[in-house]
Amino acid sequence: MDKLWKFLKSMKFGLILLGLICIISVAGSLIPQNAEPMTYVRAYPDHYALIFSLQLDHVFTSWYFVAVTLLLCLNLTLCSIIRFRKIPGSDEKEIEAALRVPSVEKTDEKTLEEIRKYLRRIRCRETAGENATVYSKNSFGRYGTFLVHLGILLTVIFWALAMYLPRIIDRACMPKESIFLDDGTEIYVDSFSITDDEGHLDYKSVVNIILPDGRESGLKETSVNHPAGIGRYKVYQQTYGTRGAILVRDGEGHEDRFYVDSNDFLSKDGENGLLYDNVYPDFKEENGEMSLVTSTSGSYENPVYVYMTVEEGQEKEVMLAFPGDKTEIGGLEYEFLDPVEYPGLRIKESPHFVNALLLLSFLIMTAGLYITFFMQPVIVSVDQEGYTVLGSKPEGMRYELKQIVRRNKEK
Amino acid sequence: MLDFLFFAGLVLYFAAMVLTFVGMVFKNKKVTDLGWYVFMAGALTATAYLVYRGIVAGRLPLSNQFEFAASFSWGIAVILIFLHYRFHLEWIEAAGMAMTFLILSYAALQPREVTELMPALRSAWFGFHIGSAAFSYASFMLAGAAGIRYLIAAKKDPNDERLEQMDYFIYRLIALGLLLLTITILSGAIWAEEAWSSFWTWDPKEVWALITWILYAIYLHLRLGRKMTGTAMAWYAVIAVPVVLFTFIGVNTLLPGLHSYGTLTVSGMM
Repeated sequence: MDKLWKFLKSMKFGLILLGLICIISVAGSLIPQNAEPMTYVRAYPDHYALIFSLQLDHVFTSWYFVAVTLLLCLNLTLCSIIRFRKIPGSDEKEIEAALRVPSVEKTDEKTLEEIRKYLRRIRCRETAGENATVYSKNSFGRYGTFLVHLGILLTVIFWALAMYLPRIIDRACMPKESIFLDDGTEIYVDSFSITDDEGHLDYKSVVNIILPDGRESGLKETSVNHPAGIGRYKVYQQTYGTRGAILVRDGEGHEDRFYVDSNDFLSKDGENGLLYDNVYPDFKEENGEMSLVTSTSGSYENPVYVYMTVEEGQEKEVMLAFPGDKTEIGGLEYEFLDPVEYPGLRIKESPHFVNALLLLSFLIMTAGLYITFFMQPVIVSVDQEGYTVLGSKPEGMRYELKQIVRRNKEK
Repeated sequence: MLDFLFFAGLVLYFAAMVLTFVGMVFKNKKVTDLGWYVFMAGALTATAYLVYRGIVAGRLPLSNQFEFAASFSWGIAVILIFLHYRFHLEWIEAAGMAMTFLILSYAALQPREVTELMPALRSAWFGFHIGSAAFSYASFMLAGAAGIRYLIAAKKDPNDERLEQMDYFIYRLIALGLLLLTITILSGAIWAEEAWSSFWTWDPKEVWALITWILYAIYLHLRLGRKMTGTAMAWYAVIAVPVVLFTFIGVNTLLPGLHSYGTLTVSGMM
């Protein structure tokens, strides 16, 4: 039992777990994740069974990846405790001990003076003893590795919460319409635009989030990288689409506007009418032949409608139309309007505290790394014959002092 | 003008690399010094190029594979110049110059036209996230260069007194790289939450950045915790370089994902 406990809290175990995470991650990056089963059958006809049995189609949520992550959390917890307990209560004891240590690196008085000057220049604290002077600095650096391990542990925990606690809802919504969520929250989409005033691409919706208790965000812009939010809700500008719009009139002066999707059939009697196919962003004409442009990242410059006339239940012919064109079928007049752009919004509901705690753990981790590597504690004892570099990470200071010794020798 | 500055920088780096190698092989300090001054000229030209390109584009030159590679190469040059003047590390110069030249040569193979910044990249995190990545990769590349230099020196003379210094600087460069990579990953996570609603999406770029981070974290554990130094750790620093290059180049070309800006055009997606 003791051996197992010792192994669980060892660096060796931590490194094995990190290695395993690396190997699993390589597999997860090379094999597409969370795709439809048929994707794997087509892409890996000889190995798809193995992929499914080893859960390689979703490695990052597989039982073994979760197990390795949990074990890493255990190892990090134990490592953090060990490191915290190893931190001396104050640096006074270390300084007192350093005052009693005889110098290890012997050198001449001139070099020692250079070393003293250097240690004063980097603002070390001087503690004079009977036979030696101790120069110390960065006592906070002793907390470095503890903070790194604590920061990583908290990051893993709060990252997992931030990944799995939120509720994500993806919805498309036409301008001037609303999205209603099951808890009564309403997201009203006032407008959507693809370009800014100067014509640069800038996907932007103006939304109002109305919470069940009546609180509302007011009209707020949401664009890529700038979600709108209130309370636990954030609304992201995620995608966009373009829908055809057709105005239908009857002989008595009634009219109605329809936003149409592929295969929508507009008709008065169900037998004669217009079968909508699609609207395309642009067209090209070469050698008298016309071809349709099928995609764009901006607005539709010269939209072209494709539809079919239906007579007596029979599809007749494929027709093209431009905004402003009109056609009459089965007693109704159809006028093609400018297509309408609409946003695809992502609505995220998440507790605020998780994000705040995750950001705090990011900060602890980064600060810990900085302190560990760039604020290393310095304790140097200098007596009449030489100097000694002490402390948990003496390498950097040892290097700097060696350079001074070397330069003095060269002189 | 832009192209002239770019290729002038490339040619100067190449000349500096050749001069430094020749100076080293023939132990001629004058030639080595000349190589260093040519390298400085190359770095100044590359700086002028990046500043000019930034002014023309109206943003930081970090938005696509070409601009990142050019900044990455510039990052290596900046760190190399810092090491030269702060620590007088002459032994790393030839290998470091070779790294600077190779990365800029890779940039030369990419399309160079200045393009408008796509909406997905218009964020306050743009310079911070990508800039720290460029300097992080630069540190790792230089650690690899120092590793190569260590292995050559150790083979020539196992008692070479510079070996300890080389080993120390491999470790320091990796420590700097890891800190910067941590900043890259964490700032990227915050940005991802603002852009895509999730701190982490297991996108190939994220996964390989994590793999790179773990690889160097293992190095630092072995170096600091197990006190491992010498040839084995120099090999480690060298072998890790292809992983950094794969995270930068391989992922973008072989494993398209959310980070494949400029190589993927999907109608209707942002």
